[in-house]
Amino acid sequence: MAYQKIVSTGSVYKGKTGMWLYVFHRVTGVGLFGYLLLHIISTALILLGPEIYEGAEAVYKNFYFRVAEIGLMAAVLGHAINGLRIITVDLWSKGSDFQKQLNFVSLFIFLVIFIPTTYKMTTSYFDLCLEKSSSGTTVVDCIIRPIPDWK
Amino acid sequence: MQTTRTDWGRRQPPIGGSSFELQAWFFMRVSGLVLVFLAVWHMFIMHVFNDTLNLDYEFVAARWETPYWRAFDWLLLALSLLHGTNGLRVVIHDNIADKTIKKLAHSALYGTSLIFFIIGTYAIVAFVRQV
Repeated sequence: MAYQKIVSTGSVYKGKTGMWLYVFHRVTGVGLFGYLLLHIISTALILLGPEIYEGAEAVYKNFYFRVAEIGLMAAVLGHAINGLRIITVDLWSKGSDFQKQLNFVSLFIFLVIFIPTTYKMTTSYFDLCLEKSSSGTTVVDCIIRPIPDWK
Repeated sequence: MQTTRTDWGRRQPPIGGSSFELQAWFFMRVSGLVLVFLAVWHMFIMHVFNDTLNLDYEFVAARWETPYWRAFDWLLLALSLLHGTNGLRVVIHDNIADKTIKKLAHSALYGTSLIFFIIGTYAIVAFVRQV
């Protein structure tokens, strides 16, 4: 019986793009909340004066954190654009008829903003690192150095 | 004997319950819409138009000299914390079945959010330039 077949497949929902966008929204949401707490603490350190604040900020200024910052940008942009997609599906009466198109439009908008942003954040890191560091510093030094020797 | 259900996906809506979940749903749409502008604008100012490598005490002190930026940052703090707290409330509700652990997780979440809201608000309101 067709009905029994449905029962025996268990309760695991196997959606496609929509399910993965739901997973993406939850994972980025939880991640962004965690980063928000870290960010509130590091910013509040400014009350303790320039030395402590800039000492804490220096940790953020190595290349690995720049990669994480690009990931942060991806999470913020992705969560924002996917959120707009969700609002569109919720409030536009024909939204659910155009889910596939809305997914593609969302991905397109994301890439149009994210790609140039990543380019700027990467090139700017090396430009500033080479400019601020003592002469003789190479791009490789900028990548492997855990904490920069400048402020 | 096997009973056949034909009402899949047509659960009766709760009668006489509170409208909290509806309001929470609505709040996520409204705050999300505002945060698209506040959070993305904040990210572009800090990470694209400026570079975080140039971020120092002077940068923040100069920014917070205008009440406009303090208000902007406080609104961003309040909305993102509320939006995130409500999001995590739902994630906890969906993923933790045990009622006691769920209650503990919710309490820990609300406590954490409140403490961070106080810390953040205090930093934005009480900051006075030292140099």
